Amino acid sequence: MIGLWYEDHEVGQTAPLGAHRFTREAILDFARKFDPQPFHLDEAAATKSIFGGLCASGWHTVSVSMRMLVDGRHAQRKALATQGEKPPPLGLGRGVRDLRWSAPVRPGDEIAFSLRIDSMRETRRPDWGLIGMRIMGVNQHGREVCAYTLLGLAARRPA
Amino acid sequence: MDLLYFEDFPVGEVVEFGDRVVMAEEIVEFAREFDPQPFHLDEAAARESMAGGLIASGWHSAALMMRINCDEVFLRSSAQGSPGIESIDWLKPVRPGDRLSVRRTTLGARTSRSRPDIGVVEMRFELMNQNREVVMQQQGPVFFGRRANGEPQP
Repeated sequence: MIGLWYEDHEVGQTAPLGAHRFTREAILDFARKFDPQPFHLDEAAATKSIFGGLCASGWHTVSVSMRMLVDGRHAQRKALATQGEKPPPLGLGRGVRDLRWSAPVRPGDEIAFSLRIDSMRETRRPDWGLIGMRIMGVNQHGREVCAYTLLGLAARRPA
Repeated sequence: MDLLYFEDFPVGEVVEFGDRVVMAEEIVEFAREFDPQPFHLDEAAARESMAGGLIASGWHSAALMMRINCDEVFLRSSAQGSPGIESIDWLKPVRPGDRLSVRRTTLGARTSRSRPDIGVVEMRFELMNQNREVVMQQQGPVFFGRRANGEPQP
């Protein structure tokens, strides 16, 4: 497990984020709200598309990966609190680099997400550091479906 | 309406479109499902955080921009998805009541070597608020079908 303060991170560290099953209903629901292109909504149209069948919006896949990341951190914050330790203030995301949707996510697919710490640097603000974490999703056949580097602020441990 | 094809996105073109007001309820609804952090969920908790008040998840902003792009461009085009995004920058917070629009710039265009019926258009999308501040910027390729040979140009 990787700690929550900036200083707890180290380039190269990895951690699993758990797996999520993409149901047909959830794929259609997200697509109706945010990405109503035929290959995310309609099986017949999707078969004729570049994807060869219905698949989740790439924005759905990355949004789920965020949920996995947030849930993991939330559990860690609760654990710290029960030990009587104050968890660090939450930092905001700054951006994303090199986002790849490497393979389609199909209804019923179970995607295992993981992260790797890729970069760390201090910022102009002495209480925040910037962490680059590579987040990856792999399907039940071992094939990568998405990967991206999330740049996010992490609070620095008070001296 | 005629479909937009690869050939309809000339390099250098800048187009603005979309008009979407974001409500507090939808910010919270998205956050409950995908990004349940206090600054996306609860105004009082958000005020205590570095966000200084309720803000949309950056992934919600990305999803909203996708919806605007679908409604204004992709759904009346031969768009065939995207292999990825080079960069997303969340430059300013999106807050309840913000009115969003998109500025699209065509940066480059090339045909696919492996799929001669597909063209790759490199696009920059800027999500703007009602004060014309860019709140999010995104850059990456989009696949479009090519107009079949012999089909008349618009």
